[in-house]
Amino acid sequence: MTSALLSPESQDARHAAQSLLTPWAQGPAVADDLLLKIERFLRLEARLLDQELYRQWYDLLADDLFYWMPLRENRQRRDKRNEITPASVAFFDERKADIDLRLQRLESGMAWAEDPPTRHVYAITNVEAFETETADEFETHSVFTLYRNRSEHDDSTLMGRRRDLLRRVEGGFQIARRLILLPQAVLKTKNLSVFF
Amino acid sequence: MSLSAHDYMNLDEGWIDRRIFWEQAIYDRELERVFARSWLFVAHESQLAKPGDFLTTYMGEDAVIVSRAADRSIKVVLNSCPHRGNRVCFSDSGTTRSFVCNYHGWAFGLDGALKGMPEEHLYEATPGFDKKDWGLKPARVAAYKGLVFATFAEDAPSLDDYLGDFRWYLDAVLDAEEGGTEFLPGVTRSVMNCNWKFPADNFVGDIYHALWTHLGGAQPTLARHGGVIIDNEHSYQVSVNGHGWEFGTNMIGNAATMGDREILRYMKSRADAIEARLGTFRKNMWGSVASSTVFPNFAFLPGYFSFRVFHPKGPHKTELHAWTLVSASMPEDIKDRFRRGTMRTFSPGGILEMDDGENWEHSTQANAGHVTRQQRLCYGLAPKRAEGSGDLPGIVHRGQISDANQRAFYRRWAEMMEAKSWADLPLAPVSQSPVTAVAS
Repeated sequence: MTSALLSPESQDARHAAQSLLTPWAQGPAVADDLLLKIERFLRLEARLLDQELYRQWYDLLADDLFYWMPLRENRQRRDKRNEITPASVAFFDERKADIDLRLQRLESGMAWAEDPPTRHVYAITNVEAFETETADEFETHSVFTLYRNRSEHDDSTLMGRRRDLLRRVEGGFQIARRLILLPQAVLKTKNLSVFF
Repeated sequence: MSLSAHDYMNLDEGWIDRRIFWEQAIYDRELERVFARSWLFVAHESQLAKPGDFLTTYMGEDAVIVSRAADRSIKVVLNSCPHRGNRVCFSDSGTTRSFVCNYHGWAFGLDGALKGMPEEHLYEATPGFDKKDWGLKPARVAAYKGLVFATFAEDAPSLDDYLGDFRWYLDAVLDAEEGGTEFLPGVTRSVMNCNWKFPADNFVGDIYHALWTHLGGAQPTLARHGGVIIDNEHSYQVSVNGHGWEFGTNMIGNAATMGDREILRYMKSRADAIEARLGTFRKNMWGSVASSTVFPNFAFLPGYFSFRVFHPKGPHKTELHAWTLVSASMPEDIKDRFRRGTMRTFSPGGILEMDDGENWEHSTQANAGHVTRQQRLCYGLAPKRAEGSGDLPGIVHRGQISDANQRAFYRRWAEMMEAKSWADLPLAPVSQSPVTAVAS
């Protein structure tokens, strides 16, 4: 698909997607005190999701958010095609307004698959952060483990990697871009009624 | 299974025995009599653009490779080496000239023919050994307007007869626009702990559930338009050979739940051209509130154009594979909007699909209970009325809310479970001349 034929908004998203696929960790590592602040931010975010404080979490998203969880495919090593491309169908390929739409489902009080609610535990580890060409924007890597339990035996563990572009704002950070890489080619849980 | 399949249901009385969703023996017979016998969806032609392109999928629980051969024909072969049985292809897709088994290095062509193996001379001392006898088992392959189907049943009727007059309806999504259709890149795969028939019967004729299951998911996009509304007067269920489609007649009802005005603007702009091509009736089907299953396990949603297969993985487990279909002629921006629109609604993270899997899992798992399993399920909802002598092909009912298509689906299921061969299976007559004019 030629991105030149897309709307300006979609072209921006393609650009954001490409930036998340470019070589990782090229800039200098951030100073330790900044890394600590970034880790605190990621822990705050995980706790808000644990507690279903979704609107508070939503406020941590930048207005120009690009939030992406591509599909994974089994390919032979000799296959030269890119496994992950922005033109492919994805699990999440979101702007901030799309996240709002998803929250409206939960807030409707009629999302039966979440009533009684799921119990979530997010663990965020392996945090690294690097300077980018833009001051106040940091390329941040982390590993998430999301344990979900609901009802009696409804239970899944999703683990994967995130590459974020965090933006420093007054009072903290915002998530400007997020790439979520789940290692599962076949999703081994019945839904993704979650955020990462 | 000692009982006759017909003992598990009385569709005139409107009930089905829950054991068909639970018991291993019934499931094993389904693999033999339903899946190994039906024409099963395996690919869209656009996924195999050039010779050497291949993808892997399943027919029932049989792993298969689907590929485009040098002569551009499409081949489907079992993905299992006839030497020790190992899988010969572990990629989901790719381009190749051959498949080489990791175990002993036996190499096969795209058509499944055994081309050679390491130290081939070792077989010189084996009387009667002939490489021709040891290829990957091929299936019969046929296509309808871009959709590729295959079957391992040598006695199955042609795909055209299998689909019969259902093809006339399929054209409403496969032939609406000049230039045919294509799948967007990427297949969404997910696992549900449910019997495969629950999603299949949902898509064949259950819009009723949308009035409750999808209230929450529809809220963000439909609330301002009055929520989920089904027009049971101006809507239909049609069924042919167990394939079924329930649909409204407002052209864009399903598409509207994606909440993208540009998609709706585009679809409305195409109305006159599609009407000239397909007539008013099928123009109105194009993106309406609707769902369909092609028997046994291939289904789609007009409007979102999400096409999916419910692969059986045991009596209590189903693997869902789903793609997004677009017209090849659509502007790139509209294709991209459909890509995101189907993801947002009908994918494992979609606001509508998320509440479906939950239902099917618990409809299945409840049957672990011996007493529970003995209570029949109600499939008795009658349609608004039969449309006996209309111009529409197939079995037609007015009103898209009823269990009529689901009963027809299970009637077909029971016929296939009973039949010893295709000679025992009835097929609806195919119209001699295509239906051209149908009143809206």
